Amino acid sequence: MAPDGILALTTADRQALIPMSAGYLILMSALAFGLYRLYRPSGAPPGAEPPPGQGEQPEQAPATPPGTAPATPPGRTPATPPGRTPATPPGRTAATPAGPGQRTGRAALARKIASTVIGGYLLLMAVIVAYYFGVARVGPGFLESALTGTALLLGLAAPVFVALSWLAERRDRS
Amino acid sequence: MARYPLIGYLVWLILFGALFTWEGLALARVTGVPSLSDVFRVIMRYPFGRWALFALWLWIGWHFFIRGWHFLLRA
Repeated sequence: MAPDGILALTTADRQALIPMSAGYLILMSALAFGLYRLYRPSGAPPGAEPPPGQGEQPEQAPATPPGTAPATPPGRTPATPPGRTPATPPGRTAATPAGPGQRTGRAALARKIASTVIGGYLLLMAVIVAYYFGVARVGPGFLESALTGTALLLGLAAPVFVALSWLAERRDRS
Repeated sequence: MARYPLIGYLVWLILFGALFTWEGLALARVTGVPSLSDVFRVIMRYPFGRWALFALWLWIGWHFFIRGWHFLLRA
């Protein structure tokens, strides 16, 4: 009778599965702890609901004009500590109404993304070629795999990134 | 079958443990250390920093998911 569960796996499977599961558990625990501390008001008992409109979601936190201190209720830590930038995700603008400069903003964002993709790809290729010819000639298919494999990754990731960006923008508008 | 020494797992465990401890402390605001988001935000202010991060992301994906892999899982 074959043993059940993880004991039935081979040594190679266990060596692949156990570190991956441990890493996943560590990552999820760290994220859960950070989110718990981030959203729980300091001084409030666990389970108490925060005041309405006071940062249930960081993306919906009210914008603070530059030069003015953020309004923080007593007994609650400010959403942005001193010396830190506001919690706006990189690459996303604050929730402002669409203005006449939106097309320019989109074009600038597209240029920024394109320059990042092209610059990053060329930088990686330069590092790989320098590594191959300067440090170690890994194998005959190394350079070809680097060229085509990273291009394949870009081809897979770019449509997903565009679709998610479109969905996020549509959600922000609604 | 290759047998990996235990010290390799320990080193990776220590490295990732230190990383997540740092991020946890930063998110908990126990100390004044910046979070990884702050660090990446500063790096991404500059074009070369964005290129380097994108190249790193691309290399990680290529190294872990593409190398040694054949189309349609043809071994």
